[in-house]
Amino acid sequence: MLNKKNIYKRSFASFCGPGKHQLLRISFFCLFLSLVTGAILLLLLGKNPFVAYTSLLQGSGILPKLRYPGRKSQLTDFFNLLNYTVPMIFASLSVAVALKCGLFNICVSGIMVLSGFMATVLVGYSDITSIVAKILVLLIGVGVGALVGALIGWLKYRFNMNEVVVAIMLNYIISYVVSFFINTQLADPVTRQSVEINQNARLTLVDVEMFGLRINITTVFVLALIVVFLIKFLLDKTRFGFELKAVGVNKNASRYCGIKVGKTLVKTMIISGALAGLAGVTYYLGSYASIQPRVVPQLGFDAIAVALLGNMNPIGCLFASGLIMIFESGTAYLSSRLGVLREIAALIISILLLFSASSGYFKILGNKFKLELGENGGRNE
Amino acid sequence: MNNIIIESMAFTLPLFIIAIGGIFCEGSGVINLALEGLLGMGAFFGGLAVAILTSTFVDSQSALVYISLFAAMAGGAFFAMLFALIVLKFQANQVISGVVINMLAVSLTAFLTNQLNVSFFGQSSNKFVLFIFPRVTVPFISKVPILGAFFTDVYVFEFIIIAVALFMAYILYKTPFGMRLRACGDNPQAVAAAGQNVTHIRFIAILISGAMAGLGGICFAYSISTNFSPSIFVGYGFLAIAAYIFGNWKISNTFLACLIFGFARSIGYFFVQQLSLPSSYSDLVLTFPYVLTLLLLLFFSKTNKAPQALGEIYDKGKR
Repeated sequence: MLNKKNIYKRSFASFCGPGKHQLLRISFFCLFLSLVTGAILLLLLGKNPFVAYTSLLQGSGILPKLRYPGRKSQLTDFFNLLNYTVPMIFASLSVAVALKCGLFNICVSGIMVLSGFMATVLVGYSDITSIVAKILVLLIGVGVGALVGALIGWLKYRFNMNEVVVAIMLNYIISYVVSFFINTQLADPVTRQSVEINQNARLTLVDVEMFGLRINITTVFVLALIVVFLIKFLLDKTRFGFELKAVGVNKNASRYCGIKVGKTLVKTMIISGALAGLAGVTYYLGSYASIQPRVVPQLGFDAIAVALLGNMNPIGCLFASGLIMIFESGTAYLSSRLGVLREIAALIISILLLFSASSGYFKILGNKFKLELGENGGRNE
Repeated sequence: MNNIIIESMAFTLPLFIIAIGGIFCEGSGVINLALEGLLGMGAFFGGLAVAILTSTFVDSQSALVYISLFAAMAGGAFFAMLFALIVLKFQANQVISGVVINMLAVSLTAFLTNQLNVSFFGQSSNKFVLFIFPRVTVPFISKVPILGAFFTDVYVFEFIIIAVALFMAYILYKTPFGMRLRACGDNPQAVAAAGQNVTHIRFIAILISGAMAGLGGICFAYSISTNFSPSIFVGYGFLAIAAYIFGNWKISNTFLACLIFGFARSIGYFFVQQLSLPSSYSDLVLTFPYVLTLLLLLFFSKTNKAPQALGEIYDKGKR
């Protein structure tokens, strides 16, 4: 006899239980749970959750909107989505690589601000030819990020400082120092942000005429895809990647096996920092063209959610970034169409984060139920 | 000079009580990076209590102020239950869970403050207005030069915090429960062998840290801005974490660390005022406590002894 509880257990076990792509299935389960929670929230506010979720998709260019202003269409929205997704891909890879090594890089936001600022100051206002300027911007991003990452890794390895506290302190220090320089040197009197950079240094081509539409095309999306596969290769196929993961799983065992733990930690933070630096330049010199003082980009923290949702797998991060950015770029349309507050998207994302953080428990639970049902199953049937 | 002391004490004591919450939590073996979120959530509940009570029946203002302190403690403890659920029941990574709780607190308070203001109080605003907390000057002692400044224009909550802090120190160091709690941080299996429930003790420790962080949070809200707004999330929780790491997870040393932070901050502001620098220089001053934290951690991280089982997920079967 199947009682009701057994059905729940059975369906949970078959969805989250052991087998092929278990982690991927659990990620989908987390997404489903947070969408349901969001739907309940929307119902409490008296809104139709289906309309809300479709308007998220419409706002981000996945589904067509009801009407468009001149020279804009679904394609414009979709290219904007790509434009905003690129920094998120880099940022989530940065978090994921560090997490694989057992480090928690929460300095992504700070590194983003610093690398964006350095690139803006050094290249943003010069008249170098477009291609050289863009390459320089990317190199500065990688360099600055790697330096900050190396600093964090070194402090952890040499002085045993908690990398999380160091990273948070660095976030605040960088944000305040950069805002000091922007306010005293670079401030635009109208917008109160830094003066907009020249178009030749910007990684996104703005208002390109195409098919009779005006489209913002990001030049670095291909680079992002390449980096995703490079990191995947690094983690899965190289010796360093193996050492990195080994240190992440068990430091003492790796030391016993002859892996230089300290060196691996520093190297990992350099890679993670460089990726965060790339996120910074693609954000401040790509998706946007100026820096807002005293504001740490929320993207650096959302990247943690993305990395967790993507199971710290580079390919997973790629798709999770797209998903989260659909939420973020669709919010404006959602709030204007349904009259809900913009904050609801951030809330749903952090609920998603909550479920993703406890995904380990779902795995244990899935395995346990499967085992129980396996034992009972023979007796019942 | 007097102003420096008055301002720095109003900053030091809330930071201290938050750090005590952190010491309870980490003393029991659970890394608590969620202090930032807990203090914000506590301040939110305190602000909400004031907003509800003033709009329904106008109580006397002085009573409301103390009610808001209790509401903040209860709210902080309530939100800490969520943290406890993830960390103890779901056995998630404690560092990640802490950051998750912070993010949830930021987005949840932003959403709820806006939504409640729109739907119940009929105004679109992202803050709850609080009253001005009463200040007292202790007669006679305040006349003493320099030392008297510690007793001039003191917020009443500072006395409350000192009382609570002494009580907490008593619990942690002089009661059987406190001893078990500290033992949980060093060797949970031994506590289990002695017949105590480790998860239960850790749960209470997390609740206490939530309540303490809530109290500190509402005091920050009172002393800095007299309203609850998202600007409460400026990293004081992390400053508290740095304080107890620097204070070697001991309450007395932590108080010294908090004093250093408090004075560093108000002396920095004092210089900006005295040298009549443009206001943009306050950005540089604001980095002062953070830089100091980094430097102090640089020297003290290696010699400090954290609770031995800190960050380990409790496993009954482990030897």
